[in-house]
Amino acid sequence: MNYLNLLLRLLIWFLLTADLSLANIVIGLAVVLVLPNRKGRATLGDWLRVIGNILISIPLAYVEALEMIFFPHSAEEVTLERVRVNRIPALIFLDIFVITFTPKTIVLNYRDDGYYEVHRVKRQ
Amino acid sequence: MTVVLMLMLAVLLIPIYVGARDQDVWQRMLAFCSIATKTSIMILVIAVIRSDWAIGVVGVLILSLGNAALMLLAHILRRLNEL
Amino acid sequence: MKEFISYTLISLGLVFWLWGTLPLLGKRSVLFKLHSLSVSDTLGSMAITVGLLVHFPADWSLLFLALISLAIWNTILGYVLAFCSRGGQKDG
Repeated sequence: MNYLNLLLRLLIWFLLTADLSLANIVIGLAVVLVLPNRKGRATLGDWLRVIGNILISIPLAYVEALEMIFFPHSAEEVTLERVRVNRIPALIFLDIFVITFTPKTIVLNYRDDGYYEVHRVKRQ
Repeated sequence: MTVVLMLMLAVLLIPIYVGARDQDVWQRMLAFCSIATKTSIMILVIAVIRSDWAIGVVGVLILSLGNAALMLLAHILRRLNEL
Repeated sequence: MKEFISYTLISLGLVFWLWGTLPLLGKRSVLFKLHSLSVSDTLGSMAITVGLLVHFPADWSLLFLALISLAIWNTILGYVLAFCSRGGQKDG
């Protein structure tokens, strides 16, 4: 059983319900245990790095937005970015989330040979 | 706060106009996506001003479900283009 | 002080909204408009929600949920729209 995964699910449950009564804790535990579990090769370090990336990306997104407002970015380009090897689907999803969340870059496609196609805007 | 709502309404007119004008289906999808987010944020603002919890819950539900519906619509449109 | 912070955040959000929505009127590609919409609809709306959170802390759980669903759903919708619109153009 992957304890980290269970902890993450419990956190989401409590954020969703915002209720710490005993009945709600019991219901949350039941839901968390019943949801299907998939074995992955992600380590604690992988998760921590992704969570750190998400926290960094929030102020970064605002900085990029202000840059886009004050300096017009009118050129577009498509680049390829390499995925780190041996990633489980949840981590790939979070990677795509972090890249797309910052306004200058959007993931267009995730290719099976291990590349993201990233669309970005640039200053001319 | 009323001024804020007025300004929001004024901004909301832009995507509504684009959605009514544009012939390309993807530009229309963009406009609809923008309308969905803006209206649900307006619902949230109204709910918080009136301190009415029920309206706020409706706003949050629209915020998540409306976007999910647009996602499904985008996938269906892509399939139709592939046919 | 609290009022000042909250109104600053809300006006910042409104500026983002206006700036990001105006390119919809132009004749750029769908992807370019998607970039500016992610400024307005995700970041601008998040700024407005945080402003409301500072102003009315009693409704924190509702606003927090709105913040999370804004960030996740709008971002994923941007990815899905980019992916689908390009797939359509390639075949069409």
